[in-house]
Amino acid sequence: MRSTFLVGVTCACLLLVAGRVQAHHAFAAEFDVNKPLTLKGSLLKWEMVNPHSWFHVVVKEPDGKITTWLIEGGSPNQLIRMGVTKNTVPIGTELTIEGYRAKDGTMKAVGRNFVLPDGSRLFLGGSAPGGGGGDKK
Amino acid sequence: MNRRSLVSIGVVTLAVAVLVSSAAAGQAPSAAPKAASAAKAYTPPRTPDGQPDLQGFWTNSTYVPLERPKDVTKEFYTPAEAEEAIKRAAAREAEQTEPGTTADVHYDFSQFGLDRSQSTIARSLRTSLVVDPPEGRIPLVNAEGQKRAQALAAARKARGGPYDAVENMPIGSRCIIMGGSGPPLMNAGYNANYQIVQAPGYVMILTEMIHDVRIIPLDGRPQPPQNVRQWTGISRGRWEGNTLVVETTNFNGRNAFRGASENVKVTERFSRVADDMIDYKFTVEDPATWDRSWTAEAPLAKTGGPIFEFACHETNYGIANILAGARAEEKAAAEQALKKGSN
Repeated sequence: MRSTFLVGVTCACLLLVAGRVQAHHAFAAEFDVNKPLTLKGSLLKWEMVNPHSWFHVVVKEPDGKITTWLIEGGSPNQLIRMGVTKNTVPIGTELTIEGYRAKDGTMKAVGRNFVLPDGSRLFLGGSAPGGGGGDKK
Repeated sequence: MNRRSLVSIGVVTLAVAVLVSSAAAGQAPSAAPKAASAAKAYTPPRTPDGQPDLQGFWTNSTYVPLERPKDVTKEFYTPAEAEEAIKRAAAREAEQTEPGTTADVHYDFSQFGLDRSQSTIARSLRTSLVVDPPEGRIPLVNAEGQKRAQALAAARKARGGPYDAVENMPIGSRCIIMGGSGPPLMNAGYNANYQIVQAPGYVMILTEMIHDVRIIPLDGRPQPPQNVRQWTGISRGRWEGNTLVVETTNFNGRNAFRGASENVKVTERFSRVADDMIDYKFTVEDPATWDRSWTAEAPLAKTGGPIFEFACHETNYGIANILAGARAEEKAAAEQALKKGSN
């Protein structure tokens, strides 16, 4: 997923030429590039909504305090076309989320990567439990 | 199945698909003359009331850029070159960025099925969607268009920075309208799906992104007066043989396609050239922006349905978060300045 530095530089150059598919708003305006974080927790709720999904994740902080984080992800529409439903990711699923914290300092973040306990990435190629993969015709 | 496998599947099917695509578009390069003649023989099915049948679910998802890259000088790739171009573009979407960079502050497209190689692509051998001018690039904006763009930029600046007012944020971010809604229909990057429904005297085009609907009458009625204007303009259609021609004017000017004025005219041509392909062309005319018209071809490939609700505005938490983030940054900067001043 994340590339080596060399490949990353190459891609950045190409992207300048070819443009990049963007989400519908500028994420760097909402989340702070200087506040990367990794959260481990369990899924409390998945708002399967547009333009962006929101995952509510219960996290046990290092001091033992239990907090609930809201994690922004992508539009669910294509996932639905691939056979993913709200039941695909059961409540309580353990997730590790690598992302960036919201600029307003609240417990919100963008989920750069959603990683399942076996190391696979959530929804990647239908890797979520029950995820269908493929485009239904 | 991992992403690499998905990309591979797309690549393996490319050689066949590009032939279908170029044949379907009736624009086959010399390498595929048989496919071109096959396209001419296609007779589209009819609706019960006798219209050529365009109904169904379609996508204009593509890796072909609107304008030809500056280092490409030809109109068509060979199938092998097109395959390479798709592989490169798919790899760019998948690899994404470096941690700690602004571009990295984003969710992974691939995990949400949003990189285009994971779903249907409207394949083409073209190196650009723009077919006229022949160099594959949109004409330069004329003096009147530049002056208008400068005036709009000044008006934005007068309202403050990009996050000082919600009105300063892009209309797509505000869930008012997105690029895919058209006209013209442009690849939205993801969820680039449409449904076409025909009824006697009407064609309806539903766009997935933000769920915009165009209802196009075919009865030859005139356009409403100039003071009646809409975000997606007002469309009037007619059949020319098996081709649906749709002319749209009366835009409100707040959704300027490539910097066009509110008086832009977009003429779209839909021709079903295979069971799984609609040849879609559009011509943009706007003397207030370009000294000549320009035309692009962006085929629509059959895809699966249904179109899911988008309901963008109702759950667009991002806007509130962005504005809250900007206020928090301002507050922190003010406190920092105060601290510096008191030292």
